[in-house]
Amino acid sequence: MAVTTLVRPVAEVAPPVARRRSSPTATVLLLLGAAYCLLPVVWVLVASTKSASELFTTFTFAPSTHLFDNIAFLTSYRDGLYWRWMVNSAVFAGGGAAVSTLVSAMAGFAMAKYDFRGKGLAFNLVLAGVLVPAVILAVPQYLLLAKVGLTNTYWAVLLPSFISPYGIYLCRIFAAATVPDEVLEAARMDGASDWRAFSRVALPMMRSGLVTVFLFQFVAIWNNYMLPFIMLGDDRLFPVTVGLSGLLNQGATQPAMYTSVVTGSLLSIIPLVVLFLTLQRYWRVDLGAGAVKA
Amino acid sequence: MKKTFAGVLTAALILTTACSGGDDPETADPGQKVALTYWSWAPNMDKVVAGWNASHPNIQVTVNKQDGGDPAVAKLLTAIKAGSGAPDVMQAEYQKIPTLVAADAVADIAQEAGDLKAKFSESAWNSVTLGSEAVYGVPQDSGPMMFFYRSDIFDKAGVAVPKTWDEYAEAARKIHKANPKQYLGTFSSNDPGWFAGLSQQAGASWWGVQGESWTVAVNDANTRKVADFWGGLVQEGVISNKPMYTPEWNAALNDGTQVGWLGAVWGPGVLEGNAASTKGKWKTALLPDWDAAAPANGNWGGSATSVTSQSKHKAQAAEFVKWLNTDPAALKALAGTANVYPAATDATSVALTQPPAFFSNQPDFYTIAAEAGKITKPFTYGPNVNVAYSAYNDAFGKAAETRQAAAFGTALDTIQQATVGDLKNAGFTVAG
Amino acid sequence: MRTRSAPYLFLTPALVLFAAFLAAPIVYAGYLSLRRVKVSGLGLGAGARSEVWAGLSNYSRSLTDPEFVPSVLRVGAYGLIVVPGMLGLALVMALLLDAGRTRVGTFTRTAIFLPYAVPAVIASLLWGFLYLPRVSPIVDVLSGVGITAPDALSSSWVLYAVANIAIWGGTGFNMIVLYTALRAIPTELFEAARIDGASDVQIALRIKIPVIGPSLIMTFLFSLIATLQVFAEPMTLRPLSNTISTTWTPLMKVYRDAFVRNDVYSAAATSVVIAAATFVISYGFLKLVGSRAFSQEN
Repeated sequence: MAVTTLVRPVAEVAPPVARRRSSPTATVLLLLGAAYCLLPVVWVLVASTKSASELFTTFTFAPSTHLFDNIAFLTSYRDGLYWRWMVNSAVFAGGGAAVSTLVSAMAGFAMAKYDFRGKGLAFNLVLAGVLVPAVILAVPQYLLLAKVGLTNTYWAVLLPSFISPYGIYLCRIFAAATVPDEVLEAARMDGASDWRAFSRVALPMMRSGLVTVFLFQFVAIWNNYMLPFIMLGDDRLFPVTVGLSGLLNQGATQPAMYTSVVTGSLLSIIPLVVLFLTLQRYWRVDLGAGAVKA
Repeated sequence: MKKTFAGVLTAALILTTACSGGDDPETADPGQKVALTYWSWAPNMDKVVAGWNASHPNIQVTVNKQDGGDPAVAKLLTAIKAGSGAPDVMQAEYQKIPTLVAADAVADIAQEAGDLKAKFSESAWNSVTLGSEAVYGVPQDSGPMMFFYRSDIFDKAGVAVPKTWDEYAEAARKIHKANPKQYLGTFSSNDPGWFAGLSQQAGASWWGVQGESWTVAVNDANTRKVADFWGGLVQEGVISNKPMYTPEWNAALNDGTQVGWLGAVWGPGVLEGNAASTKGKWKTALLPDWDAAAPANGNWGGSATSVTSQSKHKAQAAEFVKWLNTDPAALKALAGTANVYPAATDATSVALTQPPAFFSNQPDFYTIAAEAGKITKPFTYGPNVNVAYSAYNDAFGKAAETRQAAAFGTALDTIQQATVGDLKNAGFTVAG
Repeated sequence: MRTRSAPYLFLTPALVLFAAFLAAPIVYAGYLSLRRVKVSGLGLGAGARSEVWAGLSNYSRSLTDPEFVPSVLRVGAYGLIVVPGMLGLALVMALLLDAGRTRVGTFTRTAIFLPYAVPAVIASLLWGFLYLPRVSPIVDVLSGVGITAPDALSSSWVLYAVANIAIWGGTGFNMIVLYTALRAIPTELFEAARIDGASDVQIALRIKIPVIGPSLIMTFLFSLIATLQVFAEPMTLRPLSNTISTTWTPLMKVYRDAFVRNDVYSAAATSVVIAAATFVISYGFLKLVGSRAFSQEN
């Protein structure tokens, strides 16, 4: 029942009550919530227009005129290193999320649509994987990757991001909910191989779910700090989170570069916001869907 | 298990590993091209190194900028434990050297650099030899502590530059009384290196070697004197209890409510970066003394350049390290571009003829700095400085928050216990 | 089912990666937790230290550390603030959006979701600026109207200050999850109630919330897990105050042991304890609610 709605993009679910009288209480409450969430964002927006000394002397929400100076300085910092960090973040998050989405889709599809020995075990492993904190994994991952000489390379950050137990869990829900058994059966009748049934029939049906998984993993990798911090020694390989925190923690003998960090933080949020806004109509999550199924 | 894992990975990634290649142990061919990596957190170090790369086409050095001393050492030690991933050359703070030596992370370059002893002060040289025949690095910069103060506010408040700690306490009271928003200084629970420097000035040496065992004296009478002094001022409320290097501290430096700072010779860079608009209002002096008749000083910061034990090009790396820290051109670049105070004793005449730009109103800046360096007391670091320092963060964080003088003494005991306990637990022989 | 091997082939990439980057590190951490470094004498010469078996000594030291129990209790208290606070806020916002009685829906939905795109490290930095009395605009504004704001990072407020960052960062995500579930409720389910004169609040409490129960349970579980793993926020705020110690949460202790004290063995032992506790609590919770959320179809 409920799960079938999962395939419909939000836009198609016509707001059933759009023409109802609007409630001032609801509007005020929602705007308060929005204000709370936007407050630090507005702060960073204003702060990034300030010069270094204005940042600490003028009233916090009084904007200044130095935004472009700050961006120019950040751009010139060590020959554009900041933009390299942004590119690195994009590579880590884009590459990691793309591969992990495919891996998750395959695994989720197999768990949702096949009966096989060890299925229960595999699923429990996935659940266990969801529970393990990344901080705990980082050190042993480093020590193991160092044994094969992969630390301080892009692979050191990419490879561990390829696996996402949470993504597999979601893909299993999506596959179960959106790919009817009959359609797969029909494809098989037509002589399609398992792989073809998956790639030509199941994948397109799971599309909105896959977008969701991709975005989750993209954000998770983009926001990750611990793993790249440990894995990478060469600052030209850093993602933007590690790079910015380096500008902040320069040790006692150097001043922290607050203006650059603030400006850099602002710029680093923009790609994610754009990504979300453009993909908004595709992505959706219904964590309960798997359980609601009658 | 490790083997299976490695097997799986290698099989999966045979291409990448093959492509990325590794440095195979190479034969000692003087004409061969060598690429070295160098971890440092000093600003513009890449520009200093460019000078070397231009004149040494066969030994090319790449600088990987790090996040400061603690993260760099943490990463180096992890790489050492893993058996790969360490750079060839590493900036190492003096207090980290015993830790690095104990972890077998740095190479002994006595053969290559043993002849440099005469170029450095005894205390600097001692920190890279740990009193042994070995040489674990070449001193790069030192950090004799200095007192920075807002001369305009001092003049206005009619406060003289304190020569002793009693006078400092008096000045702190006077300034805070004249304007309750203003503080002469702050007690920072976040900067163990700062407190160690102040204790060093008072005659403390937190570690020591007695025959074949370590001694630990974090809560000795000298350090206690320092802790009680600051605890008293914090309890009185005439000194701030907030950590340094926070946005709040920056704001205080900018708006003139932080009137003085017990910093070190590298202080101008920090002040300029945090409060550029206050240029020309600061002056510097030697640290106040416990005994005006016996001037003394401590160190805060300062580092050496070491060759790591994983480097496959030890000779070339040592050659670079020697050049970096003793060659006149390099010293000039270090002082001018990388903003460090070179440890080499002839640096004052070669590279430090002008005061730092932020202190252009004080032509004798480097004369005072040289004096501050000269009266610096000896201090020995132990193999678990990291344990003592993180215990400092926690214990003094609590103490500063309570604003009770008695808590400051208790904090010292806590650090002492944590430090001794850790040494014993690891199996070090500890006296007493 | 055409080929018996098909599901295994589909699972292979995931299993290989799982083995290499999750299972192997965990097993390795378990191994490390039973090892320690043994130093002799001054410990300075090469070969003065060796790795030896430690038995369970790392575990006993980790569990008897005087800071360990307080840090666990602290995380418990933190969870009591964050989980209800975040989910309550998310649920209210989702219900308000779903009721459709406002014109600012799209704007607020986007605004509330925005913090999800801000890395925890950066979020903590931003909030840090807003907390510190001397640079905070909130304190400025409050003192402008004659209120002395408390120091957010003082010992009595710091827990709320850290919790606030987590709530700020997590509300939007949970709101979207719940909102999606609400949109999936067939209108027939509550149209009848509405015709009978039930108010929006009554409909929400009696019909909508029970129907999205499974989604609430899942968001609760994932929030609970995230709570137990609290790390980045206090870690970033720590240097700004006296009140956050290096072992403020269990994961911070893991970090300190591994990276500050260079003792990966103790860090591994604490990690294993935390991982085990997470499992027990999560499975205990699922048992408690008797959820079919994780049950398998087919």
